[in-house]
Amino acid sequence: MQFFLQQFINGITLGGVYALIALGYTMVYGIIQLINFAHGEFFAAGGYLGVILLTWLAAQGLPPVICIALALVLAMIYCAVLAMCVEKVAYKPLRQSPRLSVLLSALGMSIFLQNGLMLTQGVYDRAYPTAMTSGGFEVGGILVSYMQIFIVAITAILLLGLNALVFRTRIGKAMRATAQDKTMSALVGINASHIISLTFAIGAGLAAAAGIMVGFYYGSINYSMGFVPGIKAFSAAVLGGIGNITGAMLGGFIIGMVEIFAAGYISSEYKDVFAFIILILVLYFMPTGIMGENVDDTRV
Amino acid sequence: MTTPESRKGLLGLGLALGLFYLLLWPLLGIKAEGLFFADAFAVWWRVALPVVLCFLVYLLRDKPALLAVRRTGQRLGSSLSGLISALPRPLLAAIGLALALVFPFCTERYAQDVAINVLVYVCLGLGLNVVVGLAGLLDLGYIAFYGVGAYTYALLAVHFHLSFWLCLPIAASLAAVAGCIIGYPTLRMRGDYLAIVTLGFGEIVRIILNNWMSLTNGPNGILSVPPPDIFWPSFESGFSFEHIWLKKLIYLYFIILLLALATIVAVYRINNSRIGRALEAIREDETAAELMGVNTFLLKLLAYAMGAVFGGVAGTFFAARMRFVSPESFTFIESAMVLAMVVLGGMGSIPGVILGALALIALPEVFRGFELYRMLVFGGVMCLMMIFRPRGLWPAKRLGTRSEDRE
Amino acid sequence: MKRIVLATLVVALFSGAAYAGALKLGSQSPLTGQYAADGNDIANGARTAVEVVKAEGGIKGFDDIILSPQDDACDPRQAVAAANKLVNEKVSAVVGSYCSSSTIPASEVLDEAKILMITPASTNEKVTERGFKYMYRTCGRDDDQSKAAVAFMKDFLKAKNVYVVDDKTSYSQGLADNVEAGATAAGIKVLGHEHVNQGDKDYSAVLTKVKEANPEVFYISLQNSATGALMVIQAKRMGIKAALMGQDAVYHPQLMEIAKADAEGMYLTFGYTDENAPAYKKFLAAYSAKYGKPGAYSAYAYDSAMAYLMAVKAAGSADPDKVRAAMLKLDFDGASKHMKYKENGDSGSNYIIQKVAGDKFINFWNPETGKLY
Repeated sequence: MQFFLQQFINGITLGGVYALIALGYTMVYGIIQLINFAHGEFFAAGGYLGVILLTWLAAQGLPPVICIALALVLAMIYCAVLAMCVEKVAYKPLRQSPRLSVLLSALGMSIFLQNGLMLTQGVYDRAYPTAMTSGGFEVGGILVSYMQIFIVAITAILLLGLNALVFRTRIGKAMRATAQDKTMSALVGINASHIISLTFAIGAGLAAAAGIMVGFYYGSINYSMGFVPGIKAFSAAVLGGIGNITGAMLGGFIIGMVEIFAAGYISSEYKDVFAFIILILVLYFMPTGIMGENVDDTRV
Repeated sequence: MTTPESRKGLLGLGLALGLFYLLLWPLLGIKAEGLFFADAFAVWWRVALPVVLCFLVYLLRDKPALLAVRRTGQRLGSSLSGLISALPRPLLAAIGLALALVFPFCTERYAQDVAINVLVYVCLGLGLNVVVGLAGLLDLGYIAFYGVGAYTYALLAVHFHLSFWLCLPIAASLAAVAGCIIGYPTLRMRGDYLAIVTLGFGEIVRIILNNWMSLTNGPNGILSVPPPDIFWPSFESGFSFEHIWLKKLIYLYFIILLLALATIVAVYRINNSRIGRALEAIREDETAAELMGVNTFLLKLLAYAMGAVFGGVAGTFFAARMRFVSPESFTFIESAMVLAMVVLGGMGSIPGVILGALALIALPEVFRGFELYRMLVFGGVMCLMMIFRPRGLWPAKRLGTRSEDRE
Repeated sequence: MKRIVLATLVVALFSGAAYAGALKLGSQSPLTGQYAADGNDIANGARTAVEVVKAEGGIKGFDDIILSPQDDACDPRQAVAAANKLVNEKVSAVVGSYCSSSTIPASEVLDEAKILMITPASTNEKVTERGFKYMYRTCGRDDDQSKAAVAFMKDFLKAKNVYVVDDKTSYSQGLADNVEAGATAAGIKVLGHEHVNQGDKDYSAVLTKVKEANPEVFYISLQNSATGALMVIQAKRMGIKAALMGQDAVYHPQLMEIAKADAEGMYLTFGYTDENAPAYKKFLAAYSAKYGKPGAYSAYAYDSAMAYLMAVKAAGSADPDKVRAAMLKLDFDGASKHMKYKENGDSGSNYIIQKVAGDKFINFWNPETGKLY
């Protein structure tokens, strides 16, 4: 039981990270039907910005809590701006082109950004100032670190905020309208271009937050760290039904849990196989994901 | 010079360069010791200067001096493309073939090595082209078939000493079986759901190759895989067949050239067959195709299997050429590369895929001199190529018109 | 008379051809990708050796020494491409590569072209056991390394059980398998042998298992010091009390940079390096002046290139067979260890146990004498 609960907590934490990244994939997909390969790179860039800002802020003698909060916000803004620029440069000129061309442009952008990070930040892993957030407590033999609580809490806050934004505000309404029909929404006076930029910005901001939390939780970041979680989070987004925000959260937690439990109870080397098998099974019986609607476009 | 258009362009350029500095600076300039502006500026001006120069040339494009240059360039380009389209297709193919045949005799081993890689990827790209370009099924796990082919040959050759030529059909059929296994559960899905499931299958194959120690030797890979061999007639001491191992790059080059030619012919025939037409119908509108009496399920499965066969053939050659296989060669990024070739070259177009393979394999080799900047440039060029040629370098000619063409 | 003049001319021409021009060396290592950190250390180590030899007046008969570093990204296909490129550039020796899985296929190409290959980092046994004439290894071998690790567990830690984790590369798993077999033979119970995947950051599931098993020693065999640091951090956080043991790929200053206090007291097997030896000091001065703090394999790469350059000096030419003969006669104190190549290309292993103390590795235990340093 103790073993099970410990693994459960591990799974929740990992799932939270995947969920945050998956949101960016799903939002972008929902609005322009693009698998944004460069999304994992926003996650890595967020991690780097976080450590850069934290070191600087800490050197200014600010208390840790303020350092973390400021670094989080600034890194999110940075990645949002970066994502908007990427969208303008690499995706916007291709809006009328075949969808696979945009996909390829995204792949090129991903390689470009990853190597850009490598060239500016070096090939070595960068350590996070984990002293600020270390520690934890024990309940009945189960270890819970403050960082795990922090990750789950921040994830929950960001998800609630996002839900409120999408379903309660005028901007959210405009986003949903654009996702449904770009031409119609333009006719009723929605500037689709702005909405798409905004979607990229929000998605990248969330990925940046995930990057910082991963840095704190695991203790280090490196330039290629966006790739593997990127694929997992993308799977999570699809599992939940791509384009659906709640689905992406759900998918993230499911993939995280499956991975941890497969590693804990069956075999750690085959854990990714189990994650993908679950994905395939779910999609076999629910071809549009758990919460997705029918995507009636077979053309690539 | 001061038309509203150029002023707007100038403003945009200024804004873009400003933003670029803003994005670059935090990465280079914020340190524990304080804020620095010089490092980021040093990188910034190296990028900004060429960009500004390009923009100036663009602005001055209507000035007489430049206009003349442009005109000549255009004239040269149009006369060249006119020449190419005026020549009959078979002649063009013959010229290409002759160049390919002469190539190894006037180059060194490095160029031959790169050429072999290009041809392997031509096979892979054409195989994937059947799935993606023709049937319109986005496959992100195509490299799995390549892996199946490579491991089939490696295992059969090392354990049972089967010859390369015998293994070729075995590996191809095993890859086709794998294609059907992967295809069967996935074909109910559409669009991007299919993409992620194929990605999943690709990863599963790689992880199994990496973990099934008793069969594949796991991450150690399989060593000393024999190269292809032939029996060459020998007239010394009467007539007999001499057994030769084809280790030299030049022989390998001709083998893969042969395989690539076979692939080209096969894919060309598929393109223009009833099956090809039916697959195109599925790509354009699956529901309509089904209504017209096309057995979509069977044909989609067939497309997967046919694509897989070429992947398996390429894999067999890859194992024989590297004389070593390990799971590291079959990662997702390889699948993405092959897909990139197909899209970059122009989906559904055979010369396009060949161009795409040439571009994506030869480019990083050309940039090898840049060392660390190699992949950065590669990613950037990939983006730019898509922006300027979104339909690929050599787009396929479509039959008839489609609804969105008229829009 | 005419004939003599002609003969002299021919001799002069040929010797001129043999002696003029530059001596070209290549290096190949992963300059990009996951293992870029160690790969760049290797390229820099080789660069330093070339710079040192050049500063000391170069090699007689060669105008210049040129190093051409290539990237193989630890990918077999790119390794073969890089090797072919180096053959094309007519280098006479190659320092590299890092991953055993790159070194093995690349060496097939280089051996065929009679180019010496000296690996500073590939410890898989098979590297030198394929009967290649021009393959050398400056670092130790996995089988020797596992012996040192097991001896330490048995004789010093007096451990009764051990838990082994690796990350499934030919190097890390090969070593972990050797440790498992060695430990079983030595009467140490192997409580479990788990594998994680490369690219993973989250080891919590496996570590929870380790904690359940409660071993006395936790043997970590990972391909990379950064992932090693991640595992150490998470193991400490999980409350695993076992003695942590790593190997030479985890051995890197990065380990302490990332894991900080969590790495304290960790044991690692690594080749013995006498940091007070004049050869090491000379290397350190030359290296750190240009490339900063040396990594785990910088000194090995430096010695590999140095050994080759010394062999060329001794042989008086870059002819592969003459250099090979000279290589086998080498006997000198290198920066990393005492250099002497055997017939199969190995240079012997000298693994000892080092311990993390503060932000430094200290020599801790010598498996040959069974004594502390």
